[in-house]
Amino acid sequence: MFIHNFKYALKTLFRNKMLIFWTFAFPIILGTFFNMAFSDIEKSEKLDIIDIAIVETDEFKNNEIFKESFKELSNKKNKDRLFNTKYVEESEAKELLKSNKITGYLLLKDTPKVVVTTSGINETILKYVTEEIKQTEKIVENLAQSEIKKEVEKKNYNIDYDQIYNKVLEITKDSDANIKNITSHNLSYTMIEFYTLIAMACLYGGILGMVAINQNLANMSSNGKRVSVAPTSKGKLILSSVLASYITQLIGIFLLFIYTIFALKVDYGNNLALVILLATVGSFAGLSLGVAVACLFKANDNVKTGIVISITMFGCFLSGMMGITMKYIIDKNIPIINKLNPANMITDGFYSLYYYDTLDRFYFNVVSLLIFAFLMIAISMFSLRRQKYDSI
Amino acid sequence: MKNVIEVKNLTKEYKELKAVDNLSFAVQEGEILGLLGPNGSGKSTTINCILSLLNFSEGSIKIFGKEMKPDAYDIKKDIGVVFQDVAVFEELSVYDNIDYFCGLYIKDKRVRKKYVEEAIQLVGLEEFKNFFPKKLSGGLLRRLNIACGIAHKPKLIFLDEPTVAVDPQSRNNILDGIKMLRDRGATIIYTTHYMEEVEILCDRVIILDKGKIIASGTNAEVKALASIEEKVSVEAIDLDKKYIDEIKKFKNVDEVIYNNNILFIRYKKGKNNLDTLLDYLKEEHIKYNKIYSERPTLNDVFLELTGKELRD
Ligand SMILES: Nc1ncnc2c1ncn2[C@@H]1O[C@H](COP(=O)(O)OP(=O)(O)OP(=O)(O)O)[C@@H](O)[C@H]1O
Ligand SMILES: [Mg+2]
Repeated sequence: MFIHNFKYALKTLFRNKMLIFWTFAFPIILGTFFNMAFSDIEKSEKLDIIDIAIVETDEFKNNEIFKESFKELSNKKNKDRLFNTKYVEESEAKELLKSNKITGYLLLKDTPKVVVTTSGINETILKYVTEEIKQTEKIVENLAQSEIKKEVEKKNYNIDYDQIYNKVLEITKDSDANIKNITSHNLSYTMIEFYTLIAMACLYGGILGMVAINQNLANMSSNGKRVSVAPTSKGKLILSSVLASYITQLIGIFLLFIYTIFALKVDYGNNLALVILLATVGSFAGLSLGVAVACLFKANDNVKTGIVISITMFGCFLSGMMGITMKYIIDKNIPIINKLNPANMITDGFYSLYYYDTLDRFYFNVVSLLIFAFLMIAISMFSLRRQKYDSI
Repeated sequence: MKNVIEVKNLTKEYKELKAVDNLSFAVQEGEILGLLGPNGSGKSTTINCILSLLNFSEGSIKIFGKEMKPDAYDIKKDIGVVFQDVAVFEELSVYDNIDYFCGLYIKDKRVRKKYVEEAIQLVGLEEFKNFFPKKLSGGLLRRLNIACGIAHKPKLIFLDEPTVAVDPQSRNNILDGIKMLRDRGATIIYTTHYMEEVEILCDRVIILDKGKIIASGTNAEVKALASIEEKVSVEAIDLDKKYIDEIKKFKNVDEVIYNNNILFIRYKKGKNNLDTLLDYLKEEHIKYNKIYSERPTLNDVFLELTGKELRD
């Protein structure tokens, strides 16, 4: 019965034109549009080196991390350099900005502040880089503090600060806060759009999960009534239908990868196994989202498809589908939202896989996705336990 | 006769509405029981309660002598259901649809193949085996709906208005098929609001209104509940009023209406009504073209008991 149902579930999924459109065709079409739109931007923008200014405050002069980072990012010998930096007084920086000679300037007082007048891609990059450096600084600070604390605990009050500084730098070099990779070559901000595209495709798989549930519940569809009067266990039926949905979904994601890698030349980094892991887990999260939507709302397939699509698109928007600026704003101001946003978990997973040398942030995202999925399934189980209904 | 279904004091409420009100009845092995009632009288709700799809506040339901529960698979394996709404997969062909639903009951592939073919034959869809539901007419779709519910040769079959929106020819096909199922030994519960279907098909009938049984028994038994004997219509051109007044005084006459050159007479219980009328018409040399006499229908019974028509 499990296999019988599985076979027919696959057959119905593959023949359902609307499902196939949303889960297979739509991401590929959208990806193609992205590619057309971005290839122009990339070409013109990549040649640009962003003109910025840095106000030479005492804080800046004393902040090794900021000083070194910007120096490296503005180094003329570096063919991938990101910035053309002027070191100026604050008043002069204001002037430069006013006369549009620079994109923005960095003012480092107690906290680093980026001053810009408009919001474009260049502005975002400057802010983004500054934010990354700030994160690095924080990590370095924490590390230094804990190193000092260790020394103090060892009752060693004669601390060699130079040694600690070097040690910390040594540690941060390998940590995910390492910014050595932020160069114009690597900071391909359009890449993130393609990552959100994968995230979108994973979450659209929710439509398949939703269909699997609707088809088997007496209170959701006429077919559900029919299977409910058959001498078969509801759990087994649902499991087999959901499995068919998952496999269909993975096939769709696989095709999307093939297309984006070979036709659109999207770079997912070198670690193929981890890319597959993330896509598999991401799809599972999407599937579970659809299952939960199907269980929680009483409506027909079309309405529920709408719900899954809306959740997905909103999540993808927040994680940077329509421009990395959004992801930057959310990450900075209300990070909790993107920590809970499955679209961002997937996007950020690919992002960290590509940009960072260590995998902490990647695994954090994978685990977040798993937790999200199990939460959704737990909610669904609660409503699926019902055998009879008050109303059908 | 063994009781296949026993329903005792079944009550089902939707919020403030009592859809089924303290219903008790039994279905005997091998019979076709008609559940007749107007829209919203609780037919579908009753069936869904019996099938353990719906929660109900009170009552007990036994099928094949055992208590019916959602996981009573040994009972469910011998039941077939044709729901009121067509329940088929748009993405599957006629054959695949029947095979899918049949496969939930019958594991053996060879047996299943035979059963599916037989079901297709029973509902007369041989030429449409590879059609998809979208390409089927309303009547053919209904037939597919029936085939999906009965292909596994159940001992007990529920048919909930299987002929709604079906043209007369298709309907006759369907009714013949249902009789064939009964002849093969199945017990059948058939709901409808077409009284003609009940008269052709059912061994026994239960008339429902507002969730309550208002009459039950064989067709003849239920019709006997009617207080009228017959209804006679006579087509007579320009009938003089004095004749009409005279006829009103006849024995057993309940009501006389003359309208559009048709004289309509309803008789209460009694004998020789038509003879008396014909004699009178002859005596008075009244010319008439046609004359019909009708026995009371289930609708008349329903009308008398509830004051409204079965179908609006
Ligand atoms: N899910 C529901 N929620 C609330 N009320 C309902 C629901 N389903 C049915 N009802 C009400 O219960 C009553 C009985 O409905 P039911 O569907 O059993 O009637 P029926 O005899 O099958 O009618 P029909 O001939 O139209 O199919 C009706 O008044 C209907 O409005
Ligand atoms: Mg009904």
